[in-house]
Amino acid sequence: MKNRLKIERAILDLTQEELANKIGVSRQTISSIEKNRYVPSTVLSLRLSNLFKKPVNDFFELDENEKANA
Amino acid sequence: MNVKSFMERERKSLEKMKRYQLSNKFKKIGIGIIIISVVAFIVNKLSIENIDLKLTSKYGILIGLLLISISKEKIEDELIKSLRMQSYTFAFIAGVIITLFTNPIFNYIANLISEKQQGNFEGVGDWEILWILLSIQVFYFEFLKRMNK
Repeated sequence: MKNRLKIERAILDLTQEELANKIGVSRQTISSIEKNRYVPSTVLSLRLSNLFKKPVNDFFELDENEKANA
Repeated sequence: MNVKSFMERERKSLEKMKRYQLSNKFKKIGIGIIIISVVAFIVNKLSIENIDLKLTSKYGILIGLLLISISKEKIEDELIKSLRMQSYTFAFIAGVIITLFTNPIFNYIANLISEKQQGNFEGVGDWEILWILLSIQVFYFEFLKRMNK
């Protein structure tokens, strides 16, 4: 899963800590998502969607292997 | 009782079972209990007088490890829950492998520590298995947390 979380966070001019506080997780979780080490749950994805005011598909994207299996 | 209310009750009881964790302060209490238990174990070994603290220290270490294992983090979010589950899975598999394949080596070391007859390869005891499982879980969980920083 690829994501544009870092870019979206930069658009809103938020630090990892600030974004984490806004959606109720730790800074560690934001860092792990940005580095593609952790795929967030639907609930967390929708919280991010609400915050960025964009659909989830705009900042999360399946990679080629995942698309092929769909 | 209709099916819907029965299912609702079942769901609520399952939800209660999920809330097994203690607050973060119990982690420090667990560490304290382990330190006291290890000191008691050493005192027991060095003591000239016949004070038997072995069972107390055995219980102490196990209770301490359990408290650390089931204590929440300061921020217990979904990443931490996922890492915790990974650490329990790893501890379970590693515990079984250790019990099966490293039994003679571990038992020999345990015998040396406990000053039993050396070289007498018995099965790993239930205390040791629980210590191994909980220790692996606690250390692997800490390792995963550091890896995800």
